[in-house]
Amino acid sequence: MHPILEAIERSRRDFLTSSASGVGLVALASLLRDQGAIARGDEAGRRSDPLAPRPPHFEPRAKACICIYLEGGPSQIDLFDPKPELNRLDGQPLPESFTKNVRFAFIQKESATVMGCPRVFSRRGECGMELSDFLPNLGACADDIALIRSMQTDQFNHHPGQLLMNTGSAMFGRPSLGSWLTYGLGSESENLPGYVVLNTGRGTSGGASNWSSGFLPSTYSGVLFRNQGDPVLHLGNPPGISARIQRETIDAVGALNARRFDAVRDEEIQSRIASYELAFRMQRSAPELIDLSGESRETLDLYGVGRDDPEGGGRGAGPGVYHQFATNCLLARRMVERGVRFVNIYHASWDHHSNIDAELKFNCGMADRPVAALITDLKRRGLLDSTLVLWCSEFGRTPLGENRAGYKTVTGRDHHPFAFSLFLAGGGVKGGQVIGKTDPIGWNVVEDPVHVHDYHATILKLFGFDHTRLTYRYQGRDFRLTDVAGNVVDRLIA
Amino acid sequence: MPSILVRSLLVLSSLGLAQDALPPSADRPVDFREEIKPILDARCVSCHGPDEQKSGLRLDAKEPALLGGDLGPAIEPGDSASSYLIHKVAGFQGESIMPPEGDPLSPAEIGLLRAWIDQGASWPEEADDSTPERRSSDHWAFQPITRPEPPSVHHEEWPRSPIDRFILARLEAEGISPSPEADRASLLRRLSLDLIGLPPTPEEVDAFVQDDDPGAYDALVDRLLASPHFGERWGRHWLDLARYADSDGYEKDRPRPDAYRYRDWVIDAVNRDLPFDRFTIEQLAGDLLPDASLEQQAAAGFHRNTLTNTEGGVDQEEFRVAAVVDRVNTTGSVWLGLTVGCAQCHSHKYDPITQREYYQLFAFFNTADEADLPLAEPTADDEAKEESVPRIRTFAEQPPDRRRASHVLIRGDFLRPGDPVEPGTIAVLPPMEPSGDRADRLDLAEWLMRPDHPLTARVAVNRVWYHLFGRALVPSMEDFGTRGEPPSHPELLDWLAIEYQRLGWSRKELIRTIVRSAAYRQSSAVREDLEPIDPENVLLARQNRVRLEAEVIRDVALSASGLLTTEVGGPSVFPPQPEGISELTYARSARWEESQGADRYRRGMYTFFRRTSPYPMLTTFDAPDANVCAVKRSASNTPLQALTLLNDEVFVECSRALGLRALAEDPSLPADRAFRLALGRLPTPEESALLSGLRDDLLAAFRADPGAAAAFLGDEPIPGLVPPEEAAALVATARAILNLDEFITRD
Repeated sequence: MHPILEAIERSRRDFLTSSASGVGLVALASLLRDQGAIARGDEAGRRSDPLAPRPPHFEPRAKACICIYLEGGPSQIDLFDPKPELNRLDGQPLPESFTKNVRFAFIQKESATVMGCPRVFSRRGECGMELSDFLPNLGACADDIALIRSMQTDQFNHHPGQLLMNTGSAMFGRPSLGSWLTYGLGSESENLPGYVVLNTGRGTSGGASNWSSGFLPSTYSGVLFRNQGDPVLHLGNPPGISARIQRETIDAVGALNARRFDAVRDEEIQSRIASYELAFRMQRSAPELIDLSGESRETLDLYGVGRDDPEGGGRGAGPGVYHQFATNCLLARRMVERGVRFVNIYHASWDHHSNIDAELKFNCGMADRPVAALITDLKRRGLLDSTLVLWCSEFGRTPLGENRAGYKTVTGRDHHPFAFSLFLAGGGVKGGQVIGKTDPIGWNVVEDPVHVHDYHATILKLFGFDHTRLTYRYQGRDFRLTDVAGNVVDRLIA
Repeated sequence: MPSILVRSLLVLSSLGLAQDALPPSADRPVDFREEIKPILDARCVSCHGPDEQKSGLRLDAKEPALLGGDLGPAIEPGDSASSYLIHKVAGFQGESIMPPEGDPLSPAEIGLLRAWIDQGASWPEEADDSTPERRSSDHWAFQPITRPEPPSVHHEEWPRSPIDRFILARLEAEGISPSPEADRASLLRRLSLDLIGLPPTPEEVDAFVQDDDPGAYDALVDRLLASPHFGERWGRHWLDLARYADSDGYEKDRPRPDAYRYRDWVIDAVNRDLPFDRFTIEQLAGDLLPDASLEQQAAAGFHRNTLTNTEGGVDQEEFRVAAVVDRVNTTGSVWLGLTVGCAQCHSHKYDPITQREYYQLFAFFNTADEADLPLAEPTADDEAKEESVPRIRTFAEQPPDRRRASHVLIRGDFLRPGDPVEPGTIAVLPPMEPSGDRADRLDLAEWLMRPDHPLTARVAVNRVWYHLFGRALVPSMEDFGTRGEPPSHPELLDWLAIEYQRLGWSRKELIRTIVRSAAYRQSSAVREDLEPIDPENVLLARQNRVRLEAEVIRDVALSASGLLTTEVGGPSVFPPQPEGISELTYARSARWEESQGADRYRRGMYTFFRRTSPYPMLTTFDAPDANVCAVKRSASNTPLQALTLLNDEVFVECSRALGLRALAEDPSLPADRAFRLALGRLPTPEESALLSGLRDDLLAAFRADPGAAAAFLGDEPIPGLVPPEEAAALVATARAILNLDEFITRD
């Protein structure tokens, strides 16, 4: 009997004799790999099983990544980079030399003035990292966090900025970070996608282009998990189709496909048989993944699962976003435990052109506790060392208040690409440190600028890749995540 | 790194200082070739040359050197004291000294550089590395196309067409024999899928299998080429290149209710076999044609498919330029098969395309403004709500007195215009002969279609070949440049390119020529004897099996089940899609109001394509995202595809319709009938046994749970007096058939 058919036969027998919990299902993919029927760690292996695990260039520090993307440009001034000078300069214009060659999305340069910041910063952790009172729980994780205050990007509009942050290019058609990592490393999960996207509330302005595989095969695209209905599109069987009928159907499809393979000998048919098996396994595992009944009350509370939304919140609000964001952070941990390579958690919008104090408070109230819980939970389970947690966005916000035409009062900040903050934790990152420094009003970076390409180069290094050598040939050129730039920020690495 | 602003302030305040602090300029005429070029080559070019452009600066060629780098101009002709190049080599004012490794330049060398700059920084043509070798190239794709003589072959009985001689001669040289012709049913299904994207009915299969007229195959080809669905099938291939979608893209992603008029123009043009030269001219310059008809204006909508960013706070000029850049790059990919986009920021690293030439191409499109032509006189009522007037999306060329100037953009940055440029083409290709004083898009389109153009015809026939063989003669379809892959059958490629022109650029005639060949008609079964010699089937000793494209997978399911609405064209439709997809976009305006009635069952290509939330089934099966020109689709094989075919409401509905249809059409052997409807052939006895085994198992399961049968069947009426459990078992069997690899494959 053909090895694939043998494996299917075993999986079928196991299914039919096991309880409904799905325990006893053989790991088909690994079985096939053991037999050498599908994958090897080389290029030929990648062709026959694109998600087979493969070693990187050198010993990696991180094996999985959870990227928390807060779409819109959270204000670094109000969260990560204290600028007391702004309160002194509140209401005053900046010298023209600051704004002369600068383009703004909305600010009218002629009348724009500095906007003070009412946030209270305090030193947190043994490292004494200064963080805002909007992030009380993350402050408790300060010693695990490497905060970059000197991020720089080239883009000041949302969608292009998101593309640059996620794919290393503001142009369409490039693979996202998660796609590069699953392309480079494959997936450790035998029954879940290697790259999962979780969203809370409204969508991001970049939409699916943020987790696109670009010119890489679409196997490496992020798979969007849903918050309602099936967690994966079409995961549930149609009405009247039991798991048993589904199993029998897939068996028959497999058997008929195998006859076809005998007749035409096309290896794609074998891959097709394997992908139906994987689909069935996903149907069994995904419900187990999202079933949180096995989590302790303490864990659920740590993340804030079940919290009600407070009043207000503006555009970042939506029915149940507090609960959903907390749930997504917990799901991310559960996915990493199950071998998922890259989890992207999105929340829009942090684009606070107005009403920044109230809306940022709402958003931070939503994000601070679950993200801190995620770091804490990963750490106590021994997973933080191998799991990189990222908190990022496409740019930051101006020290100037936003005075766009039509605004009666100035209560927000405009897009600011020259200096913003983000942080990394776990995955081989040296926590408890701040990288980079901005000038007294947070306009420009004055020490250790970190461009988006440098940030990407560093992440790839944590995963064991030389960013100049993780390439894909397309249109006659070897493309890479970092384009033709990128310097690893060695200080970030423990 | 100091900002440009800070640096220029420093420069201004220190000019007087500079004269004193820098090594003095040599006080004699210097010879660039003898004295300057050697310094640049030895000390600068390894970091600022063809391989690397640190800080965006190149010092190996005149044009980029004088343009400067990321920090602005490096050389100010006539003023060495202000030239950043001199400041850097002299380490002036705390500048980090260049070159960073080895000894710094000597004061004498700096003096020579200064003198050269002070004397005007002349860079003679013959010393310009970028010029001489870029004017000619011995790369195969830039050579003129000549008609090769079809070679003689040993097995004279095999060829049906000159095409076959090229294929067979190569096979015979390798000692390989071609594959036998595919069986009649497979041939019919292959041709139907390739030409119209729909499967044949069992009756068509019977008729064709039994037709022993030697002209039956040719007659079949004629019938399919004449079908209105031919334009849908081949039009959809073109829409990938045109990055056609029904929304703006970017954050707001507003719907484009009129975009479909361009799509319908394409379908119609392909159906009436508008010759490829006219097809090209009308799409690149339809609005410039004398007395342009509305159809020709709509054709120019080709380049209106670029994205539009209406996000608040964007610099409109930035995204206008981005759209023009996309038009240049797409034109380069579609007609030239070149990655001209690589020359947007610096001269192409591998191909003879300079940055200046890139912006000469840019200049063609830079003076075309987007224009929307109302299709009817707006009534007073319509004017109140502007969007209700149907419009044609086209272009209007700016009048000469208000024409936008074009410049080289330094590093591709629209805020950094360099030298002005006029419309022009690429020097390595045949010269353009503009009809007036200034070349326009019409000249560009006509230039592309010149008989002596070495690329257009090769690139075009390569794509047609790809769609008929699943593998292109030049596998890097998007790159015919020096980094692309060479053709597997160079002479065949050229023969086809000449033949296409001889056939008056008729797409239908070209396709007819190819599908009549013996090479096309071979079986696609993998041959073990070829595995060690030609595992990728480069030599075409057999046909290829190809997974169907996303839209066609929907089409074959709807067609087999009898649900398909065959209407051609019209506004895009909204078939059922899972809840929560449109809501995930940022623009909450993205509502998906499900189409009713016949519009639920339109072909996949009519599904409304919203760029930030494309129809999931389409992207799951590798439909391109329509953000950029897609020359080639991938064919992935994922569990999400399995879940879609098994569980997506649309495919469940198709299973139901297929099962009940088979039950009505052949109550005695309904499973076999369903199999035939889906695959165009009868099951083998073994397959038949597997199907009835499945049906028995399913019947037992539904009998054990009668509620399940009712739930699965929904409200569909069951034909005859068939008990619901039996009907459900058959429908579930039909569902298995729609999940077979063969069903979504063109053999």
